[in-house]
Amino acid sequence: MPVSLSAEVADLIADPTAAKVLVTTDEDGTPHAVATDFLEIAGDGTILYLEPLESSASNRNLVRSIWYDRRVAIALKGADGRSVQIKGRPVRTHVAGPVFQRHYVDFQERHGDIDLAAVWVIRPEAVHDEDFGRAKAHEEATRPFFRHLDRIAKQPEAAR
Amino acid sequence: MVAAPKLKETTEPGFAEVLAEHPDFPRLIALKIDVQRRGVHYTDRALSVVDPAVHQLRSANIFGTRDSTLRTQLPDSLLLRDGTSIVVDPAPLERNPYHVDLIDGRLTITDGGEPLEEVELWHKPAFYDKHTSTGIPMSLIAQARPQRINIFQSSFCYFWAEDDGGCQFCDIVNFTKQQKEIFADRPNRPRARDIAETVREALKEKGRFTTFCLTGGSVLKGEELFDLEVDYYIETLQAIGENFTTKKFPSQLVASAFNERQLARLYEETGLSSYTTDLEVLSERLFEWVCPGKSKEVGYKEWRARLIRAVDIFGRGNVNTGIVGGVELARPYGHQSESEALAATLDEAEYLAEHGVSTIHTVWVPRPGSSFRDQEAPSLDYYIRLAKGLHGLRVKYGLTIDFDDWRRCGNHPDTDLARLL
Repeated sequence: MPVSLSAEVADLIADPTAAKVLVTTDEDGTPHAVATDFLEIAGDGTILYLEPLESSASNRNLVRSIWYDRRVAIALKGADGRSVQIKGRPVRTHVAGPVFQRHYVDFQERHGDIDLAAVWVIRPEAVHDEDFGRAKAHEEATRPFFRHLDRIAKQPEAAR
Repeated sequence: MVAAPKLKETTEPGFAEVLAEHPDFPRLIALKIDVQRRGVHYTDRALSVVDPAVHQLRSANIFGTRDSTLRTQLPDSLLLRDGTSIVVDPAPLERNPYHVDLIDGRLTITDGGEPLEEVELWHKPAFYDKHTSTGIPMSLIAQARPQRINIFQSSFCYFWAEDDGGCQFCDIVNFTKQQKEIFADRPNRPRARDIAETVREALKEKGRFTTFCLTGGSVLKGEELFDLEVDYYIETLQAIGENFTTKKFPSQLVASAFNERQLARLYEETGLSSYTTDLEVLSERLFEWVCPGKSKEVGYKEWRARLIRAVDIFGRGNVNTGIVGGVELARPYGHQSESEALAATLDEAEYLAEHGVSTIHTVWVPRPGSSFRDQEAPSLDYYIRLAKGLHGLRVKYGLTIDFDDWRRCGNHPDTDLARLL
């Protein structure tokens, strides 16, 4: 099911200083992760991935995703430590026409003489908060067996 | 009251049923095949959103329509949401075409009223509204696909000059006659100057085009067979080349089977980067029947040998041959079963692949202007198997097909599959 991205997550995608990783899967399901600066938020809440290389593994895997209905993941981490993972589905690719051409011109203005192969439209279906501090507190509160005993053991008194 | 046209009755399994037999085959490519096989009908609702200022309507073309009347106010063709082109023309309702309807504001392919997929119309390139300095509409000099510029060198094929010399599935000359009244300003052969100007204008639109395709009817004249055809293409390619900073530019020539001297001239004197010459059907026996002119002037084995020799000039991955997929089953001399046709075709395609030549297929449309007008194309299942088989050979022999793939062409289901390579 499609989900709406919060303003905070949308800001993270738009933040040029945030680290962004796109994860797709190849034919046998092996993940392929690439750090990318080419993610954008579209006006309708979908995520755009602008692919400069038609022959890239990501591009091939995105074709595979749209053909065989496979999901992709996007990991984001802001300079302030905020971290989220988005899971979604490529639902469309613009490879020609006015939308593509508008992105093509804009892409070259921003990045210089590189090509644009496709504008992938990814519909978000789940957003996971990956903030480590919050995740740690959550696990400690809800899964008390998932810890080593020494972490909760009384510390031996210091040698006198 | 107008009587509803009688629909063609079919005993073929439905789309979903066929697809279920091929879970590894992309549904969108199967749909493309079936839409090409059956044609489309645009509903009035769909036509209400067609805007001639924005969308590309049916352009001057080289091969014809399955409608007996050429209706130029209809959209040229379609794009699926994965970027796949469906090069398709309207079919009469009695042929049971897919419908393109407007549902919830979106153009949608439907079958029996069931919505199947959203589609987009092709957008008109900016140069279509311009004229050359000699006053010819540029849309009559070059035609567009979503990312390709087509230049049709000539709409007359000299194989047709002799009785029964033209290929049996082809309607090139009859279609040219049909278009004469509609595209009255279209030159028989576009002049180099007009081509250079049109290409210059087309290239102003950033991100619009990735390649050229040049083609036309065979021209037998010259000191040696096809010499004049080669001269024409060299002139055209040089005119195109004036617009580029590099000697070579992405381009495909689909032409007659030239000899090594002619091919070397094309490679050395122009920016041409790939070469296609169509065997049409991969069987010497059927070639003699289906392509009598080609068979008489060159012959199957020599046509094939010229393809193989072209690899030495253009390189592996830059030479291919087209077949009209399904014509190998034409009655009465074609293969007697789809399995027999598939095995024979893939066997011969493998011979070509071993020698560095790719085979690509189109979906056969028995056109009203062709000798095979009353024939039937084979099943969707056959085309899926053919596309998989030809793709599999390219994988096996490490052949790329970049110059004739989903984007550079868009008319070959088998090369759509190369997007995964």
